[in-house]
Amino acid sequence: MARQVFLSIMLAAMLLVSAGLAGAADLVVIVSARSPVTALRADQVADIFLAESAVYPDGREATAIDLGVGSPLRDEFYARVANRNPALMKAYWTKMIFTGRGQPPRELPNSAAVRKLVAENPSMIGYIERSALDASVRPVLVVH
Amino acid sequence: MPKPHHYLTSCRHAAYVSGVASLLLSACAFAGEDGARPWTFGGFGTAGMVRSSEHAADFSATPLNPGRAGHSRAWSYDVDSRLGAQLGYSQDRWSAVVQVVVEHNLKNSYTPVVEWANVKYQVTRDLSLRVGRIALPLFLTADYRKAGYALPWVRPPVELYAALPVSNSDGIDASYRWRAFGMRNETQLLFGRTSAALSDTMDARANGLAGVSHTSRIGSLRLNATAIRGTLGMQVAPELFMGLRQFGAEGGRLASRYETDGKRATVIGLGFEYDPGQWFVMGEAGRVNARSMLGDKSAGYLSGGYRLGAWTPYGAISRATSNTPTAVNGLPTAGLPPAAAAAASALNAGLNDALSHIPVQDTASAGLRWDFASCAALKLQYDSVKTKAGTSGTLNNVQPDFRSGRRFGVSSVVVDFVF
Repeated sequence: MARQVFLSIMLAAMLLVSAGLAGAADLVVIVSARSPVTALRADQVADIFLAESAVYPDGREATAIDLGVGSPLRDEFYARVANRNPALMKAYWTKMIFTGRGQPPRELPNSAAVRKLVAENPSMIGYIERSALDASVRPVLVVH
Repeated sequence: MPKPHHYLTSCRHAAYVSGVASLLLSACAFAGEDGARPWTFGGFGTAGMVRSSEHAADFSATPLNPGRAGHSRAWSYDVDSRLGAQLGYSQDRWSAVVQVVVEHNLKNSYTPVVEWANVKYQVTRDLSLRVGRIALPLFLTADYRKAGYALPWVRPPVELYAALPVSNSDGIDASYRWRAFGMRNETQLLFGRTSAALSDTMDARANGLAGVSHTSRIGSLRLNATAIRGTLGMQVAPELFMGLRQFGAEGGRLASRYETDGKRATVIGLGFEYDPGQWFVMGEAGRVNARSMLGDKSAGYLSGGYRLGAWTPYGAISRATSNTPTAVNGLPTAGLPPAAAAAASALNAGLNDALSHIPVQDTASAGLRWDFASCAALKLQYDSVKTKAGTSGTLNNVQPDFRSGRRFGVSSVVVDFVF
């Protein structure tokens, strides 16, 4: 009995996860084409977006640029690089803000605005839909 | 950009809360839109009701914020309810923050209290200094325990967190972030003092606070170790100790042993949290030794939860024990004249009454968190609590008909929100 309940819970969880994957678009993490950064690991990207690190692995200053709360691309980004759903991200920033450890990244409305700002600022890092890539920015991580 | 279809369908079943949710959503944005803004404002709050089946005492989350669930009221709103607001200013390497919290206090009022107010200077990217009123980093969740939204439970396990309810310190601290052995580390040193109002006329103080708190993160694992010491400046029950001192060497020995003023208090804590996203498990153990009638307490808990979309069922077990006796013989009464024997017996009763407030207690908890909006969560929790060793556990307002050792239930329903 307990085993059946466990299996059906697991099945429900798997269905939820696969429903999430079905709607997923390819995401790319970008820096300016003028930045010397060429590739980052998901955990290095997560550190910067979660204000755990203010620098790239080479020691240069890093500033994260986010999409707004409620953006599907944002939800997918944090689910994949930080294993956190929107509620967990909110709880995370609650901890950071109300202990004085950090503030969430600046938010922009869409991929085009993120690409434009990141292209102009070598310290900045953002994420956009893969289809929004152009020569002004460099992909440093493809998020599947 | 059109939203993918599955977001809409998955939201439809929650349509009946959309009225509440849309109100919260519209008021719900942290710093956000423009990172260049120097001012930030945010807040957090909890609205909750608590019921306890132990009617001979009141259930509380901490001794400094007395709840009234059980004896005083059938349903108490003041165990967990609070409101906090925070204003921040940041310019280059300098930042300043003020946080004000309103909650039920020992003066039976809801006077707003400055929870912290400090100025921070970022010396380097990894080293920062703060001066002012600073959150005390005791235990894993201590510095954000008032922001209930950030906690998995209705409240941090009372066995450990009520053992040292002080949440801030006036002084300085330094935090240094560093990497080693594949771990991200943060080490914090602090010096300060703190006080809390116990009544309209009495404050509890801890002076000469010195502490170190260290956190290491590796992947989804977070480890924390804390050690803090300080000197207590508070005269609890002075008439008891004046009385004891009238009974010769033994009375003097008992008074020195159990009085609080001038005693060195030490706190150590060890904790871990593993949260890969789909589930979490965390646990802590701590020891608070006040070398007085406030006790030498060890406490800990183990907790876990599993996330199913917006629903997170969780459980916890926790325990507090006393490393010193919670009942003593006190003054010898044999051979004393009747009047002196009666006085000695009364003092012994007073001393044992004080010691019976050192919590020895077990709790098993089960709860469910529902993130029904993007900045609010509903939590239902049931705690099965048993006081032990003749003590009244973490209960307050203990009545004469209270009997230790009875198991009782605490039911809580709260909404936590942030804005």
